[in-house]
Amino acid sequence: MAEMWITMGPQHPMTHGLWTLRVKVDGETVTDTEAELGYIHRGVEKICESREFVQITPYCDRLCYVSAMTWAHSYIMAAEDLLEAEVPERAEYIRLMAAEIQRLASHLMWLGAFGPDIGNLTLMTWCLRDREMFLDLLQELGGSRMHYNYPRVGGVKRDIPIGWANRMKAKVKLFENRIKEYEMLLDESTIWLVRLQGVGYATAEDQINAGVTGPNIRAAGVNTDVRWTNPYSVYDQVDWEPAVEKPTSIKGADCYDRYRVRMEEMRQSCRMLLDAIEKIPGGANTHYQPGDEMLITKAPTRAPEGATGFSTYECTRGVSNFYIQGGGDGRGKHPYRVSIRSPMFITIPYVAKTMIGYKVADIPAIMGSFDPCIGETDR
Amino acid sequence: MGTTISKEQNSAAAKDAADNLSARFKDAGITVEVVEHSAGKKYEFVRISCSPDQWRAVAKHLKNELGVNHCAMITGTHYPSGDADRGWEVAYHMHRWPIHNVEAHTMVVHKGENLEGNDIPMEFEIFIPLASSDSPSVPSVQDLWVGADWNEKETWDLVGIDFEGHENMHRVLNPHDSPVGFHPLQRQHKIRYHDFNEMYDDPQGFGRKPADEGRVK
Repeated sequence: MAEMWITMGPQHPMTHGLWTLRVKVDGETVTDTEAELGYIHRGVEKICESREFVQITPYCDRLCYVSAMTWAHSYIMAAEDLLEAEVPERAEYIRLMAAEIQRLASHLMWLGAFGPDIGNLTLMTWCLRDREMFLDLLQELGGSRMHYNYPRVGGVKRDIPIGWANRMKAKVKLFENRIKEYEMLLDESTIWLVRLQGVGYATAEDQINAGVTGPNIRAAGVNTDVRWTNPYSVYDQVDWEPAVEKPTSIKGADCYDRYRVRMEEMRQSCRMLLDAIEKIPGGANTHYQPGDEMLITKAPTRAPEGATGFSTYECTRGVSNFYIQGGGDGRGKHPYRVSIRSPMFITIPYVAKTMIGYKVADIPAIMGSFDPCIGETDR
Repeated sequence: MGTTISKEQNSAAAKDAADNLSARFKDAGITVEVVEHSAGKKYEFVRISCSPDQWRAVAKHLKNELGVNHCAMITGTHYPSGDADRGWEVAYHMHRWPIHNVEAHTMVVHKGENLEGNDIPMEFEIFIPLASSDSPSVPSVQDLWVGADWNEKETWDLVGIDFEGHENMHRVLNPHDSPVGFHPLQRQHKIRYHDFNEMYDDPQGFGRKPADEGRVK
């Protein structure tokens, strides 16, 4: 049978966003692929050049609506490196909790979108139900449901509200039981196992060379976690272990391993949250006014020419980097250049190439297991 | 508790890498320094500055001798009003992660305090200043790190810096039919309200004028 090109996307349930996967097929077998990105390129890096440092945070929220808190935090860390700001310890704890709640919400969105790909529609309703709990918690901090604009250079916008700690603990404990429910639903489901096991192999060495990071590489048997080896916040003070999965084959991790590692990561996030709320300096049930020195320190608003800031942050989908050069317009009030490294921008072309040799029906399973997000890819 | 890399391990590894690089390239005029981050745990990293024709040699040394296995990002910057010998700059950010010889059915959980030598995670920042010209270019490292492939595509697409030897260069974020030579992050392209703070100076937008004002009745 003659080989031919099929276009999947930009509107396709597999894509989880707007992009195109062009697939060359020989019968049912994929023989070549090509990824096309850029459908929602908004020029965030260009816009940032004419904004003040504090005005850039909302744009970084909107890089990825599924995990806005971690992206804003990633930017703020680079800005703090540039502006040489110190962060109070209470603010670091609040940021850690906000980022981990966001990680739970993001992984739930991934699982909810991945389920229907594989043929389990129940999963979507369950995951979105549980994700609302965590979005409510974040809404209490940031004020809106998805784009929080919460971290500030040198601290956070406002303190955790009174009673938030108890609500958070109750929800996290409830969710720890819900994870077991998910596993009962999925781990013994024949459809789930048949479609995930033995497809989409990727080794750790290949992935790191190709620029893939985060849970995808931890599924292949190594704990490359920025939070674990080079912790940026107070991750070295709370109780947790990195989630690592044993790869099932010499060919590396398959889709099932990547599913398992994210479930384990949600457990570890819960563990971190319950520990951090006990250890937070100043107490979990006190509320400091915005601008208090427990929450934020004064930071300069201008950066001189030649100064640079760089951050390495463990986002929900991998390592995100921000690189900022100071000395832009407004006598240093604006950055001269902001550069964003999105983990998914590098991962999607890599995943497209790993599909070669598998069947067309495996494409949604392979693509979904890497957790694509197009908002951060196209920037 | 996370078992982290201690500050001593980190600065020793940074110093080792910097010494190794300066010993190898001491006659070539490459500057290597150890710099400290000013935020977070204040970890140190290695900053290298070299010229475009030295870049392939430095890159191969980084990969083969220093174990740099991850090309995190490539940033191109345009300096139209700067010195003539620094009209453009390419900044590479590379990481070293301890990933090698991973076997099936086993998992490796590194403990920070046990890591040593080339296993200690380290960050490398490489600056390559380019002379002002209409066609800046640096050699491609696509064959050393697969991850550099799409980063280089993006840098060419947005900033217009060419990568010699890059295979299959094409637009990735801009439309495929963008005009030849249009690279939006070059500084001559202004966004609509550049140098104008619409949030404070014109919050309601009454001052905005259509682009064809005066020509249309």
